[in-house]
Amino acid sequence: MAEKALLCACEDVTVHDVEVAMAHGHRDIESVKRYTGLGTGPCQGKSCAAGAMRILARAGLPESARVSFRARPPLSPTRIAEYAGLPLEAVEQLGDTPLRLADPDPSAEALRPREPLPERADVVIVGGGIMGLALAWNLCRLGGKSVVVLERDYLCAGASGRNGGGVRAQWTTPSLIELATESIDFMSRFAQELGINVWLRRGGYLFLAHDAATAVRLEAGTSLQRRFGLATRIISPDEALDLVPDLDRRRFVSASWNPDDGVVFPWPFLWGYAEGARRLGARIEAFTRVTGLEASGGRVRAVRTDRGAIRADSVVVACGAWSPAVARMAGVELPNVPYRHEIASSEPLKPFLGPLVSMLGTGLYFSQSMRGEIVGGMGDHDEPPGANQSSSLRFLARYSAALAELMPRLGDVKMLRQWAGLYDVTPDGSPVLGESPGVAGLLQMSGFVGHGFMMAPAVARRMAAWMGGAADEMFERFSARRFAEGRLERETMIIG
Amino acid sequence: MAAALLRAGVTTFTRSIKYHRPRGPFCLGGSCGQCLMRVDGVPSLPACRVLARAGSSCQRQNAPLGSVEADVLRAADFLFPAGLDHHHLFTSSRALGRVALELARRLGGLGELPDRELPPIPGRAREVEVAVVGAGPAGLAAAAEQGADAVVIEREAAPGGASLFGIDPGCAEPSWVEQTARALGDRLWLRSEAVGLYVDATPLLAVQGPQGLTALRARRVVVATGGVSQPLAFPGVDRPGVYAARGLVKLARDHGVRVGASLVVVGEGEELIHCSRALVREGYRLEALVDAGDEPCPAPADLPWRRARPLRAKGNPVRRLVLDDGARIDCDAVAIALPPAPLHELASGAGARTRFQQGGFAVEADERGRTDVPWLFAAGRVAGRGGGQARDSGVAAGREAAHG
Repeated sequence: MAEKALLCACEDVTVHDVEVAMAHGHRDIESVKRYTGLGTGPCQGKSCAAGAMRILARAGLPESARVSFRARPPLSPTRIAEYAGLPLEAVEQLGDTPLRLADPDPSAEALRPREPLPERADVVIVGGGIMGLALAWNLCRLGGKSVVVLERDYLCAGASGRNGGGVRAQWTTPSLIELATESIDFMSRFAQELGINVWLRRGGYLFLAHDAATAVRLEAGTSLQRRFGLATRIISPDEALDLVPDLDRRRFVSASWNPDDGVVFPWPFLWGYAEGARRLGARIEAFTRVTGLEASGGRVRAVRTDRGAIRADSVVVACGAWSPAVARMAGVELPNVPYRHEIASSEPLKPFLGPLVSMLGTGLYFSQSMRGEIVGGMGDHDEPPGANQSSSLRFLARYSAALAELMPRLGDVKMLRQWAGLYDVTPDGSPVLGESPGVAGLLQMSGFVGHGFMMAPAVARRMAAWMGGAADEMFERFSARRFAEGRLERETMIIG
Repeated sequence: MAAALLRAGVTTFTRSIKYHRPRGPFCLGGSCGQCLMRVDGVPSLPACRVLARAGSSCQRQNAPLGSVEADVLRAADFLFPAGLDHHHLFTSSRALGRVALELARRLGGLGELPDRELPPIPGRAREVEVAVVGAGPAGLAAAAEQGADAVVIEREAAPGGASLFGIDPGCAEPSWVEQTARALGDRLWLRSEAVGLYVDATPLLAVQGPQGLTALRARRVVVATGGVSQPLAFPGVDRPGVYAARGLVKLARDHGVRVGASLVVVGEGEELIHCSRALVREGYRLEALVDAGDEPCPAPADLPWRRARPLRAKGNPVRRLVLDDGARIDCDAVAIALPPAPLHELASGAGARTRFQQGGFAVEADERGRTDVPWLFAAGRVAGRGGGQARDSGVAAGREAAHG
C-alpha cells in the first residue's frame, strides 16, 4: 500500500497535494500555500517552505519568483495572556509604516503571464477579488459577452483573501439584509454550483452589548431583521452562556442571536468563481497590472496594462480599497478611503465555539474556523487612513486583552499568526455601484466597508443582470452621484 | 520532556491533525511542531521545549476515538493514500456536503481548551540603540562590537548557537563563546525569543522571555537567527523514529539520551558528512550514509557512504529504510542531515529580500551585513554565511550596525 510523502507535517500536506495545486493552476508559493494549507500550522512553514520551493523550482518556477511566502508574526506560538499583558503605551504606533509593498515586486513580474491579452473584450473587470470574479461568472452565465478579469497579484492577495470569513444577515438597512440573505443562501449551494467547497458552517452570530445604549441598538436592529423574516432574536445573558459557556457573564448586558449566520473559508470562494468563469469562457489574468484607462467623448474606451491594452465597451472597477486610484485613471473621483483592519489566528483547537461572537461597541469579533483556529479581529478608532497592510503589535495586544477578558480560558491559548487587510470605507458605510458620473461605461463595484465578501454573490448576480439591461433601482440608489447630491444610505452595524 | 519520554522508550507523542498518523519529535529544537503535547492542562506545547518536573502531567493529543497507540481515525490515512484535496471533496450533493462538514468540523483542531483561566501576564517596554537577535557565533561576534546600549536576544538557555553542536568545522570555540557572553553581562537575554519584528517609526521587536513579553524598540537590528533543521519529503519521513541529525546530536550532548544504537543518516552535501561524524562521536553506529543530494558530496573513505534516494521509511517507530538502489537497511532510527534552512522570517517579514538556495531562503546581505532595509543587518547562517564564516560575518554586520 502506498505511503504518504509528507511535506508539511503540521497540516498533513503531501508532495502529491502540491502537485494537485499546481494542476489547478496555482504556481506561485502564496497560492500553493493557500490551496494546500502548507505552512499554516504551528511551525508556520519553518520546516516545509524550503521543501515546497524545491518542488515548485523543479516544475520551472522562474528564479526571481522563488521567494518564501510572506512570514506572519509570531515566529513561534505565543500565549494570548502574554500579548494581553503588554502595556498599550509600549506598543503605541509612532508613525506611518514605511511600506515596502509599494515597490515593484520582482516576483510578481516573474510570474506575469507571457501569452498576449485579447485586443478587445465586451467587459474588462479590474480587480480579481470576490466582487470581480463573482461578476465574471454571472456575466458568463447570462452569456453573450466576452469577459476579462485583471488582477495585479495572486487571486487571494487583496481583502477577499484576508477576511475572517464571517457571513451574516444581521444588518440594519433593508438593502444589506436582502443582499446578505440571498448571498448566504447561495453559499450553501456553492459546492454544487461551482464544484468547490467553501465550508459554510452555520454556527450563528452572537452579538453582545456591553452597555444599555448598545442594547437598545441591538433591539432596533433585531426588530428590523425580524420584519424581513430573519430568525434574529434578543436573548438574555444566561441564554448566551448556554451557547458559549466560557464567556465572562460580567462583560455584557444583553445579546442578539441569529442561528442562520455563519462562517466560510474565504479562499475557495475566489477559486470557485474563477474556475467557474474560466470554464464559461472568461479570461482570468493574474499578475497583470493596470497602468491606465482610456476615455474619450464621455465614454471609456480601453484598459492599458503591463501586457498591452484591451479595448472594451464596459470597464468595471472592483478593486476594493484601491478603487479610487483606478477610477482616477479615467478622471473619476471616488470618496472611498482605505483603513487597515487586522486579524489574528490562534493554534488549532478541538471544536468548542459554535457561533461567531461579536462585541458591538468595542469591535471585537471571533469565531472558530473549520480547522479549529480562533480567527478574529478588532477595530481601532485610532487607526489612521491609509493603504497600510502591515501587521502591528498594538493590534495583537488590544485584541488579546479583549479576548482574554471576555473568555479568560483563552489566556493559555497561543497565537499562530496575524495579518492585515484593507476596509474600503465610504462616507455612509454603503457601497458604490453602477455608472460613474461623466464617463459612460465605467462601472463601479466597491465601497463595501469590510463586508463585501459576504454580499458578493447577490451583488454580482444583480449587477450582471443590470448590465444586461434589466432595471434595478439599487444601481441608481448606490451610484457615486449620491455623495455630490448629499443623499446618503447609512448602515450602522459595521464591526471593526 | 521529550528527552525523558524518549529515554523511557516512548516514540509516538501525538497523532497528526488530518490523517491521525503517529508522530514523534523530529527537530528536537522547538521548531518543527511534531512533538506537541498537553502539559499540565495546557494544549499543544512542544515537548522538546518543556522542562520535565516531578508531578508534571503530560498527555498525548488528537486521538478522540481509541488511544494514541491505536487510533481508529487513522482510517483517514488509508482512505486517502496520496493526500486529500478537501476543496473538491463531496461537492456533488448538498446532503453529502453537510455530512462532510460535520465530520471535518469534529475531526478538526488539535488540542482541547486549556483547563485553567490565565490572567494577562504583565509585559514591559524597553528601548535600545541596537538589538542583536541570536547569540550564536555570528550574533555574539556582532554583539561584541556594540556599545553599552545594546541587547542580545537568545532563545536557548545558553549562548553559542550552532557551535554547541560541535558539527560545523571552524565554528566558534567554547572558550570564545563563554568569554564573549560573559563580557555582555546582563545585556545577554537568555531564554528569550524575538517572536515578531514590526516596522514602525522605529523597529519594534516582540521578545518572549521568562517574564512575559517585552516590547523592545531598537534603532537598528542585527538578525543572526541561524537555521532550522529540515525534513526531506519522502514516504514515511514523518513517522516516529525519523529525527533531525542535529537534534540527535543535541539530545545526546545535553541529555545523554540516544534513540537506539544504530542509525541510517540521509542527507546531502557537507552537512551529511559533518553530522555523521558528530553522531559517531556521540556513540552511534552508522549503518549507512545516504547521499540524496542533486550533486554528490565527496565520498568519505571511513564511513559507509552510498549514493541513493530514500523510497520509504518503514515501521513505527521506523526500523528500516528502503532505497531506490534496491537496498533495505535495518536500523534503530533514521537521521536527516540536510543543510539547516536560514531562519529568515524576522528579516524577510520586515522587507529584506531573500534568495533561494538548496537549504532554504537566505537573507540577501552584502559583505558588511547590510540588507536592503537601512536599519536591518544580517549575519551568519541566516545570511548564507554559516559555519566557518559565521564569526567574521557577525563582526562585519556588528560594526556596521554600531556605526550606522
